[in-house]
Amino acid sequence: MKFQPRLTIIAALLGAAVAGCASWPSPEANQQLERARAAYRNAAADPAVQQHAQAELQSASGALHDAERMAQEGKPTELVQHNAYLAEQRAQTAMRTAEIRRSEARIAAAGEQRRQIQLEARERETIAARQREAAAREQARKAEEGRREAEARAALLENERLEKDRQASASAGLTAEVKRLESELADLRAKETSRGWVLTLKNELLFDTGGSELKPGAERALDNLVQFLEKHRDRSIAIEGFTDSTGSKEQNQLLSEKRAWAVKAALVKRGIASNRIDARGYGPAFPVASNDNAAGRQLNRRVEIVIDPS
Amino acid sequence: MTRITLIPLAALALAACATTDPPEREMGAARAMVSQARPIAEKDAPQELAEAQLKLGRAEAAMQRKHYEHARILAQQAEADAKLAWTVAENARMQRTANEVQDANRVLREEMERKSQ
Repeated sequence: MKFQPRLTIIAALLGAAVAGCASWPSPEANQQLERARAAYRNAAADPAVQQHAQAELQSASGALHDAERMAQEGKPTELVQHNAYLAEQRAQTAMRTAEIRRSEARIAAAGEQRRQIQLEARERETIAARQREAAAREQARKAEEGRREAEARAALLENERLEKDRQASASAGLTAEVKRLESELADLRAKETSRGWVLTLKNELLFDTGGSELKPGAERALDNLVQFLEKHRDRSIAIEGFTDSTGSKEQNQLLSEKRAWAVKAALVKRGIASNRIDARGYGPAFPVASNDNAAGRQLNRRVEIVIDPS
Repeated sequence: MTRITLIPLAALALAACATTDPPEREMGAARAMVSQARPIAEKDAPQELAEAQLKLGRAEAAMQRKHYEHARILAQQAEADAKLAWTVAENARMQRTANEVQDANRVLREEMERKSQ
């Protein structure tokens, strides 16, 4: 009986040796098997693993089946644990492999995105360049417009200045002309009145008493006037005959008219166009002096030559 | 931090029921995978890489002691760990890159919006 325990141990050892491969999985092996199953379930549930890490998943599956089978067949617990370990590591590898594919897809998408951004940036740059160009053109156009406007203004001012100069010089010319005319008329002994320049010729110089024919010497009294009219062909004249109040009014009227016509005839005869000469008589009207005395009456008997202002 | 603790009795048991050819294919795959993962995983998955390197070292040791079944198991786990390390690191890198590209796009867009104002 003393040797019995030892015999039991020997028997157990022998049993183990005889059984060889037949043993129950250890707790460690069972835990490993549990981890392998969980890892495999996770991996197999991921579609990306199914799609991108199929080979790795299959080798995990193979190892797991081996482990399960060995556990059922009572194969050494170390072999069960070993295959379960391989199954777990391969399932993890499959998961990470799928993860790598996802990252690769992200990188590819980012590359495409980068190209899109660059494309958009180029488009925006093109648009911005066009806008800058258009703005520059608009600016140049406005500058040109401003320049033209300034030129037009300057030209307008220059024209106004030239016009003023022209008017000034014309008016200066006119003034000179008037001055010359005035001096010439003064030579004629004409007087400036509200009707214009008036040259008064005394009847005694031109006509016999009661007559309407010019006296032979009267022509010379008209010389200066003829010269003036020849020089200033744009001028017209009015010849007006007047008498004193002696005698009948009708006779005096007729006499004054005849005398005015006689002067006109003399001027026409000397080459002055008749349409430049208006001749009429006023009789005793518009006396320039009193008819009560001889001196006054002498002044009233007269022919007035009125030179039109223009 | 290895999850596998092989007690001597289990080693005996394994030796009793496994073939004993040297696991050259598994060793090669583990070495290759660890080499591939190391450059990027050193920075972005150091824990997973350390696990893989530890197991590969133990697998090499087991090979020298001609514990081939032990070596096969360690080599397979080292390969799986190294692959996970590489994947974790690669994933971290990719996520960083994706974020950077998206950030760059955001900056680019902001710059464009600012310019066209």
